[in-house]
Amino acid sequence: MNMVRLDKQKFSNFILELSAEYTVFAPGKVGGKTEFVPIRSEDEIDFKTLVTDMSPKGIFFPSSEVLYEYDKQGIRVPEKEIGKPIAVWGMRGCDSRSLLMLNKVFGSAIQMPEDEKFQDPYWKEKYDSSLIFGSACNTPLSTCFCNWFGGGPHSREGMDVFVVDAGDSFLMEPVTGKGSNFLRELTCFADSTEKDEAVAKKLASDAESSMAAPMEVTDLGERLNDLFEEAVWEEISAKCINCGACTFSCPTCHCYDIQDEGKGSRGKRIRVWDSCMFPIFTMEASGHNPRALSSQRVRQRVMHKYSYFPEKYGEFLCTGCGRCVTACPVNLDIREVLKTINAYNKQGITNG
Amino acid sequence: MSEWQPRILAILCNWCSYAGADLAGVSRMQYPPSIRVVRVPCSGRVDPLFILKSLQSGFDGVLVSGCHPGDCHYISGNYVARRKFAVLKPLLEYIGLEPNRVQFSWISAGEGDRFAKVVTKITEDVRELGPATRLVKKL
Amino acid sequence: MNTTNELRKNIKSLIAEKKVDLFLGWEKGSLPLAATPLFVTAEDQADKAIFDVTCGNNLSIYFTKDKKQFEGRKVGIAVKGCDARSVVLNILEKQIKRENVVIVGLPCNGVLDRKKVLAKTDGREVLELIDNGDTVIVKGNGFDLQLNREEVLSSSCLACIYPDAQEYDFFIGEARGEVPNEGRLKEIEEFQTLSSLERWEQTRAEYEKCIRCYACRNVCPSCYCNVCFVDQNDPRWIGGTSEYTDTLIFHVIRNLHVAGRCVECGACQRACPMDINLLMLNRKVAMEVKDRFGDIAGLDINGKPAMSDFKEDEKQKFIMG
Repeated sequence: MNMVRLDKQKFSNFILELSAEYTVFAPGKVGGKTEFVPIRSEDEIDFKTLVTDMSPKGIFFPSSEVLYEYDKQGIRVPEKEIGKPIAVWGMRGCDSRSLLMLNKVFGSAIQMPEDEKFQDPYWKEKYDSSLIFGSACNTPLSTCFCNWFGGGPHSREGMDVFVVDAGDSFLMEPVTGKGSNFLRELTCFADSTEKDEAVAKKLASDAESSMAAPMEVTDLGERLNDLFEEAVWEEISAKCINCGACTFSCPTCHCYDIQDEGKGSRGKRIRVWDSCMFPIFTMEASGHNPRALSSQRVRQRVMHKYSYFPEKYGEFLCTGCGRCVTACPVNLDIREVLKTINAYNKQGITNG
Repeated sequence: MSEWQPRILAILCNWCSYAGADLAGVSRMQYPPSIRVVRVPCSGRVDPLFILKSLQSGFDGVLVSGCHPGDCHYISGNYVARRKFAVLKPLLEYIGLEPNRVQFSWISAGEGDRFAKVVTKITEDVRELGPATRLVKKL
Repeated sequence: MNTTNELRKNIKSLIAEKKVDLFLGWEKGSLPLAATPLFVTAEDQADKAIFDVTCGNNLSIYFTKDKKQFEGRKVGIAVKGCDARSVVLNILEKQIKRENVVIVGLPCNGVLDRKKVLAKTDGREVLELIDNGDTVIVKGNGFDLQLNREEVLSSSCLACIYPDAQEYDFFIGEARGEVPNEGRLKEIEEFQTLSSLERWEQTRAEYEKCIRCYACRNVCPSCYCNVCFVDQNDPRWIGGTSEYTDTLIFHVIRNLHVAGRCVECGACQRACPMDINLLMLNRKVAMEVKDRFGDIAGLDINGKPAMSDFKEDEKQKFIMG
């Protein structure tokens, strides 16, 4: 199936039809911030924001999620709050790619022996039935660096339907079978013309050329392994204050803690986001903390994203969305960190 | 079904207010059976967190009581406590908790009658407010 | 800019004369709306230092963040009025020694609230900022906006009385003196006229946004407990979810912990990734501390933080009769 065109006048119809089958999430304003929120109509959508302040990972991996409840009668998995499957409108390429990465972790969507596979039912239930409408970035931000890691402003990875905003219409191109099946069922589309496709192509090439040249990352993992014991980490982490703003706004950070909350004979087991920036993250029952220093924790975050994860799953755990760059209270820019790593060698002499 | 009864946590200092409660008891003074007592060494030991935590776990009110100013077993524990409570009380009111749910008093070991009066008063205040809902955590 | 040049000169001579081993300042970061902390250890690095409307970080956090780093070292620090009060508090609380700190005061005209700028640009990305004193010019793709300084200042700055460092070794530029800021408590006073239930609903809505990233706590120079009460897990005082009673208790208790110690620098509010109006609690607490005990945090280097002090004959109307 080829690209189809949806005139913007018909967009509210489209959202209505989508809502009939799905619970629709889209970028929206909450207070002064933007994040993905459940919407019912077109007016609730924030079309202006390119990268939302909070990433959409919370749709599928909420900041706190009850795993089960218990009382004297036994254990129960709570009823789903959302009856319908999830559709997301307006997900950028960086975010849709992040879902593929998370699916490797939570869905074992990777080549590995069957008996080692673990599939997280809470994730799978939401993610497998979802429908993702991606959104092309026509004007990437100065904090965007998706092109460092093989992404791009018009990347289609992780989307079911790729959407380009072409001024007075949305051009939609199915990426997966699920996406094309959905588009086929709707009647509000017109076939795209050659002109439309030329417009989409032009927007893509303009967006790509507007981005700064990427940094070379091919040997980043190896370099990091080499520099593990080096003093460079102290230099890098000097200004870090060890809050969790970077990890919580990151679309790919997925570490969690499991906590029990009980009262009398009732209680819940809850999964909550955790952050490797917090000292308590690695605190052991003995009182020993293997990552007691800020520099060790900053190193861990960088190593996990650019060395350990690639070793295990074959790609960097970073999509270059730039959220950690804007969220950091002390402007510790991950791009600068990687540039420092790239320029550093064991003698401590920077070569770049 | 029986009428709703307020549940109030009473945090009492070991040297004065707890002894005051004892005196009220041995003197067979009448006061509502609404309080659950926690004994602490000094009102200075009372962390505002104890108070908020009690409200969160469903207590309808909290009473904190210590020695009268000047009588503290540890000389100045209740003076420091007084500063804490002086800030805590208006702050709780400010964020929209009902002011009468959290109250402070000074009761000496000889004031059994005063203890009975204070408990009666806070019980009536809390009864008027009804069951706590605002800061109560739903589990 | 003049102040910036003076500051650079000052840092250079402090380092050259070995009066300090390390100087904490700000430099231009990778974002136009926020400077980034700068650690100067050599003369040539001093030229990176800047001082303008983007220098929001309260650098005294570094004294308590990693105490070892400062052991046996003389440290210079560039301070705005509020930052100086934090340094004084750190000294009063014996986190650093006065003789080991060289305080360089700067004339502060307030710092930016990034979110206010973005509200003015309607979400469009700002690529360049020029600080012209009374006005601030922000530029981006296809726009060029001149904004009045007041429109984009952090709300803590709009309520600031002491823009100049009260305790310093050097003062650069012209001191502004005390600013009366008559309407500084307007927001709090208006909030107080609401009914109890309305106040509760607004507070709840505000603190419900919290995601427990602890950026507010970690940028706060007054928050430096070895183990924060929210991180204690034996016993565990409050739940780890973003459920509102837990988040609200965290913020209320944090505010009580910094009662009489909060200098209202607003670093917490600027750091909050969820745009929570954190200062609504801080400022109320500071107001109570001032009204009841006559104390303003960090103003008096010979004083004592309000909550570790007392007077025997204080008013106690709130105690049951």
